[in-house]
Amino acid sequence: MPDIIDLQRRLEGVGYVAEAPLAAALLLMLDLGRPLLLEGDAGVGKTEVAKALAAVRSARLIRLQCYEGLDVHAAMYEWNYQRQLLAIKLLEHDERPTSVKEQDIFSERYLLKRPLLEAISCAESPVLLIDEVDRADEAFEAYLLELLSDFQMSIPELGTVRAVSKPMVVITSNGTRELSDALRRRCLYQYIDYPAFAKELAIVEIRAPQVAGQLARQIVDFVQSVRRMDLQKKPGIAETLDWTAALLRMEISVIDGGSTERILETLSALIKTRDDRTAFTRGVVARMAASC
Amino acid sequence: MLIDAPSVDAELGAALRARLTGFSGFLRANGFGVGGADALGALETSAQVGILDPQVLRWSLKALLCGRGEEWRRFDRLFDAYFLPPNKRLFAERQDEAAGARDAGGVARDGAGLNAAAVIGPGVAGDSDTGSARHGASCEESLASTDFGELNRAEQLYAIEALMRRFAKRLRQLYLRRETAAHNGRRLDLQATIRQSVSCGGTPLTLAWKDRRRVRPRLVLLIDVSRSMSAYSFFYMRLARALCSELADVHCFIFHTRITDVGEVLSDPDPWRSQERLHLLAIGWAGGTRIGECLRDFNRGQGSRLVHSRTGVIVVSDGYDTGEPALLAESLATLRRRSRRLVWLNPLLNQPGFALESQGMRAAMAHIDLLAPGADLASIERVLPRILETLR
Repeated sequence: MPDIIDLQRRLEGVGYVAEAPLAAALLLMLDLGRPLLLEGDAGVGKTEVAKALAAVRSARLIRLQCYEGLDVHAAMYEWNYQRQLLAIKLLEHDERPTSVKEQDIFSERYLLKRPLLEAISCAESPVLLIDEVDRADEAFEAYLLELLSDFQMSIPELGTVRAVSKPMVVITSNGTRELSDALRRRCLYQYIDYPAFAKELAIVEIRAPQVAGQLARQIVDFVQSVRRMDLQKKPGIAETLDWTAALLRMEISVIDGGSTERILETLSALIKTRDDRTAFTRGVVARMAASC
Repeated sequence: MLIDAPSVDAELGAALRARLTGFSGFLRANGFGVGGADALGALETSAQVGILDPQVLRWSLKALLCGRGEEWRRFDRLFDAYFLPPNKRLFAERQDEAAGARDAGGVARDGAGLNAAAVIGPGVAGDSDTGSARHGASCEESLASTDFGELNRAEQLYAIEALMRRFAKRLRQLYLRRETAAHNGRRLDLQATIRQSVSCGGTPLTLAWKDRRRVRPRLVLLIDVSRSMSAYSFFYMRLARALCSELADVHCFIFHTRITDVGEVLSDPDPWRSQERLHLLAIGWAGGTRIGECLRDFNRGQGSRLVHSRTGVIVVSDGYDTGEPALLAESLATLRRRSRRLVWLNPLLNQPGFALESQGMRAAMAHIDLLAPGADLASIERVLPRILETLR
């Protein structure tokens, strides 16, 4: 328990409010050397976990953003063809034997390191963030599994590259596609929900210290009641912080019935679809603002 | 090995180990996707974090043994049920964080996980009488047997087979955005070309090409055979059988108050033996409907193995359901997340005066990619291009 509280305090020091279960999972991840799989709705701070972890451990953060059609070359390594082609032409009149020349062409100088290779060739163990892994397809997921199980990668021309130090792997998923059971089995799992009132208030206070105490409480209260509505896209923590910044910009110092007009103008920071926007009529916003 | 304290004698240590390893078996019995290696992982974790603080042990095992959001929400109650003496309900709460973690467990899961016995499988009788919302469906299981001779009627058989053949052919022409090496591709594969050119001293003599990769979608058919569907279920079974003989990766299930795998039976080459075997499987045919529970059982059982991100799931049902609409919506949401596309064929959709007012259908609407009519061969034929478009 003391370790957990200590880690929570250090995470808070770099601006991330973590609940005890998450801190426990992070400690376990460092102890067991397993990847941590984070799931949850968009905007609840999954990516921030990796950033905060990197800051706490003062490690490098290497990020791999997954997308549909991501392949091995974009994720692991690629040969620099253009330079290789040039080198071949330049070496035409070289007297050395062909095998030496070939070795020269396929040396590390011509290797473009992509995030995964970068992560396992760091001298000090970095934080490897594999963001939105559900956007990549399963073939890539399978390849990832192989990497995550023994932290080595084989490059046909160079041989096997073993991890100098094991990276701390954080994987996030938005649930647009169900991940394979094999990947889930290999990872520690953490589901991140929308924050409760106290946690969100702490986040707003840490991230936007210039907001006065009363306003911060009102902002969080308003956002929490927005989340209770039946919306297509509920605002995450990122939206709360955006909206806070927007309110500050509009120089609103208190949320009440009188500020309805200006709140309506800032709602674009909080509400992100047209259908949801139509639910926020002047009357609704005035009532919500008055009850904050 | 488990805990370092030398005062704990070997016998107690063995009992502890058995208790801890038993936990993953308990979770598996409750539908968690944990394997044998996880029991070892649980031991290792407990050794790492110590077992004296129940909250830390809970959080650590939760991170280790959960694999998806639904398991995450059920974990706390299962943990309590397993590790607490039977008359105690919850651990004394030490911190508000623990309460926060428990909040998420408040989803309607009406104690399903609390029984030490396995809750998967068809043991769902008796809890379905929601009374008010009948909408023409009934929840009794039908005991009468059914005449499966219908399945072999020659009428329309050729038309159905021809249609399914066309569908299968179109299905083979779906492409992914990812590319793969191909002899007659459309784009130059620079990497492979350069690699081949090395043997010719850097002059690219042979060119390598790549093209879009073909996708082979898996199809899962879930056919409602309850009484309200009785006018259509045979027609759909014949469609399914024709499709099974055309494509390799088709899986067919029927459901009413329970869900049954009929894929193997349908692909039996002997039509009469197929008919006999279907007879044995189809107890409950033309009975009531509990779509939500059937889909949940499917998700927990076969579905977790069958449905992946290249799977198109086709549900055939009129949406008249006696189960909980919320459960139906939740199961459909799970199924849709797992699958590539979720198509719902409703045979009643094109009938004049039919409105989407059944509770089941309304709950389902939010979670389906395509809702299409399909009462007879002509309307299926009209719908197929749209299904193909959705599967792409």
